[in-house]
Amino acid sequence: MATLTGYLLVGALLMALGLYGALARRNLLGILIGIELMFNAANINFVAFNRFLYPGQSLGQVAAIFVMALAAAEAVVGLALVLTIYRSFRTVLTEHLNLLKG
Amino acid sequence: MIEQIVFVLLALWVIVPAVLAVTLKNVFHCALFLVLSLTGVAGLFAMLGADFLFVAQLLVYAGGITVLLLFVVLLSGSPKDWIIRQTNAQWSIGLLVAGMFVALLATVFKQLPPVPAVEPLSGATTARLGLALLGEWVFPFEALSLVLLAALVGAIHFSKRSKS
Repeated sequence: MATLTGYLLVGALLMALGLYGALARRNLLGILIGIELMFNAANINFVAFNRFLYPGQSLGQVAAIFVMALAAAEAVVGLALVLTIYRSFRTVLTEHLNLLKG
Repeated sequence: MIEQIVFVLLALWVIVPAVLAVTLKNVFHCALFLVLSLTGVAGLFAMLGADFLFVAQLLVYAGGITVLLLFVVLLSGSPKDWIIRQTNAQWSIGLLVAGMFVALLATVFKQLPPVPAVEPLSGATTARLGLALLGEWVFPFEALSLVLLAALVGAIHFSKRSKS
């Protein structure tokens, strides 16, 4: 089980769960949680490929560090936007954010 | 043998809280289960021999990002948001897309060529990572620090109260 396929399967399941969360939730914070899960699925794949296919190098782990830092930046900006949206609309549900709908 | 058992337990530790994090109604509980799932991912990093990433995952994700998320959950929305329906009208299509995604990837995984036998883990990776980050990858690394600075300034700009 603890083979490359096993890790890839865990990554695929986590990615699908994040995708479902980002597509199906109507709460902005729920969508952000789904996106965080997808970032982590990508990281698992990076590190697993690094370990099993290129054990002497560290490129996969470097890529995972970059993903982690970008995820932190994304979370900070996303959460600031959620706070601003809540302040002006008094809601975090996506179907009420229809200012541009003709 | 013991590696298999630990791997299965860690995989369950990642997947089960992730399922709860995308299905529960109370967003606060979702964020707490997200912490649990991310801690499991840190365990998978440890099993893969990525010691630096193990600690970074615990500090940055399970520590920093989720605390920020919990703050925003508490600052936005009222408690009545936590008992209403949490899925939008297209949730069944979303479930279908996610299921097809897993099915597609599973068929791809079946056709993977055999992987060469893995060598045993060789000590700490931190020195190698530091040399790679400040050697070959120094320009992306510096660009990343600019991105983080921009995110910091942008977050302050977005979240400060306007004067009107």
